[in-house]
Amino acid sequence: MSEQTAVFVVDDDPSVLASLESLLASEGHMVRTFESGRAFLDFARPDLPACLIVDVRLRGASGLEFQRELERHGIQLPVVFITGHGDVPMSVAAMKAGAIEFLLKPFRDQDLLDAVHNGIEQDRRRRAEAAQMAELRRRYAAMTPREREILPLVASGLMNKQIAVSLNLSEVTVKVHRAQIMQKLKARSLADLVRMADRLAGMGDKV
Amino acid sequence: MSAADERSLMSPPVTRGQMTIAIGVSLALVALFVATMPYARLATQHTEAILPAYAAAIAMLELMTAALLYGLFAVQRTRALLVLASGYLFSALLVPMWVLSFPGVFDALGLDLGLQVTAMVALLRRLGFPLFVLGYGLAPAGTVRGRFAGVAVAKCVLAVVAGVVAALGLVLAHREGLPLLMRDARNVAELWRYVPLAAFALYAMGLAVLLARRRGPLDIWVGLVLVSLAIELLLISYIGGAIRLSIGWWVGRLYGLAAASIVLLVLLSQTVSVYAGLARTLAAERRVRQNRLIAMEALSASIAHEINQPLASMITNADAARRWLGREEPRLDRAEDALRRIVEDGHRANKVVTGIRTMFLKGAQERVPLDLNRLVAEAVATASGEARFEDIPLLTRLAADLPPVIGNAVQLHRVLCNLIENAIDAIKAVGDHQREVTITTQTIDTGEVRLDIADTGTGVDPALAERIFDPFVSSKTGGMGMGLMFARAVVEAHGGRLWVSPRLPRGAVFHFVLPAAMVPPERERKEP
Repeated sequence: MSEQTAVFVVDDDPSVLASLESLLASEGHMVRTFESGRAFLDFARPDLPACLIVDVRLRGASGLEFQRELERHGIQLPVVFITGHGDVPMSVAAMKAGAIEFLLKPFRDQDLLDAVHNGIEQDRRRRAEAAQMAELRRRYAAMTPREREILPLVASGLMNKQIAVSLNLSEVTVKVHRAQIMQKLKARSLADLVRMADRLAGMGDKV
Repeated sequence: MSAADERSLMSPPVTRGQMTIAIGVSLALVALFVATMPYARLATQHTEAILPAYAAAIAMLELMTAALLYGLFAVQRTRALLVLASGYLFSALLVPMWVLSFPGVFDALGLDLGLQVTAMVALLRRLGFPLFVLGYGLAPAGTVRGRFAGVAVAKCVLAVVAGVVAALGLVLAHREGLPLLMRDARNVAELWRYVPLAAFALYAMGLAVLLARRRGPLDIWVGLVLVSLAIELLLISYIGGAIRLSIGWWVGRLYGLAAASIVLLVLLSQTVSVYAGLARTLAAERRVRQNRLIAMEALSASIAHEINQPLASMITNADAARRWLGREEPRLDRAEDALRRIVEDGHRANKVVTGIRTMFLKGAQERVPLDLNRLVAEAVATASGEARFEDIPLLTRLAADLPPVIGNAVQLHRVLCNLIENAIDAIKAVGDHQREVTITTQTIDTGEVRLDIADTGTGVDPALAERIFDPFVSSKTGGMGMGLMFARAVVEAHGGRLWVSPRLPRGAVFHFVLPAAMVPPERERKEP
């Protein structure tokens, strides 16, 4: 694997933790194991594409409660649930709460590794998305108020002349602003610009 | 009395309440008797017409009482009940002839059997019934052995019917030569005077015996019957002036009706309360069994989890080891780590299994010499409620000279109960042909003690015969498949064997063999 990836395992059985650590490490993942959900929350996570494996039955809080705890802490890691005695209602609850997989112990190693792989891919996509968004926001922040005013008008397909009339500016000024906007957002084409404007608008008041 | 008590009319205690009711009823009867006295000798006209209805009522009451008493005998098997039931039957069978021959009742039919026949039949009833009551009072306490109570009942009924038929035959055959008991249709002859005296003597003797023995409430009620009969006789023969169909005579007849009803009413009310008690006991037993099943379910779920955990870990470790070895540069150290953990997990799983075994057989070390026959008797007593309710006799054939076995009483009791419950369940599942469980104990050639529990139930499918001792294998709907596994584990922990074979033509026999205690019990106990 070219890029480093991390897998976090939460299970209250040390021997299960050790075996999972070994299996996942053999696939080149960086593995961190935790005997409780609390220990995981206290841990400073490395900034890597990662996936979380959780036993549904944890001492103290159950795996499902732990999942809600993660949400409260704004942790968006994909979760793979494992369990010694799964029943249908429990697995349904887990999947509804956003788990990507629910595996019964003992499971086939390939099933777990596939689930972890999918989880990491999902995390990678999410991270890339988040990075792009952050970059876009930085570029947007560099624009002047006038440019921010003109951007949605350009994106909605108005001609320079129309924009000039509606904002009471000269057509030449609008043209200059437009070139500035293209440059600041690093848009390669009008279509590119429209897409960016859409995403910025989608963030609403966060912008 | 609690619901678990075996409520029985034939066993003590006679409660204070029952005594009070009996005395109260007696006083009421006496009061009515006193109130009647001034009018007793007044004659009535045409009251013969009521006589057939009265006779029918008496006969029905006595027949029903007899039937219920025979039924009670089928359960309790005491000789006394058989005698009392026969007394009621005897009395009931004489009634038709009495009323048929009564002067002036069936004249329209042209029936005239002669003056003396009615009196003779009355004499037989009057003296016969207290004789049966005496027999009831004096009957030895023992129970009638043998498989079928029905046979004993049938024999008795046949004997009573034959006796009544023979007696009536004799009376009718010699009706011309009968002793002179009646002067005319309404008035008695000199000779009759001795009949009430003899009857009073028998009533007094009966009452004395019953009050002296007072084996149970039924004795008291039968005593009350005798008191009523005595009052009846007093009214009929003395207060009423021995004049048939006088006021005193009719009131006397009412006492006869009351006498005939007492035991029936008591039996009916007792039957209802016994049935209710039995139903409650049974419901409680079922709940206990249900709870045990639920506990077993929870236990097996937790055992499954305890074993599954190291199992999952072993599989993952093995997968990891394979992957470490399969890499381009195999990592022997990591593979070895994984293998070492597999060994640890294996030991851990084993510990769980051992733990379960010791938990099941907890206290298996606390072993003392035990009398297997006594354990059987206790287990039979435990299961008798349900067995009686299902009408399945639990029969035992216990060897008298059985050597003691060394073992844990609680565990072996559980095993025996388990096997008996299984036998009852197996019989419940089939129709109503022969239904019984037979438990046999014996010493076999090897010096071991052997016990067989044979049932007439569904039997064990030969294909399942060995597997039924495995955990989670059950042929019962709703069975957990733990009982026989537990039974075999216990028996084997006692150095014995447990197996099953078919019973011919139907059913199954479970056998187990336990080693007999070699050392005298006293010395065994002293050893640490």
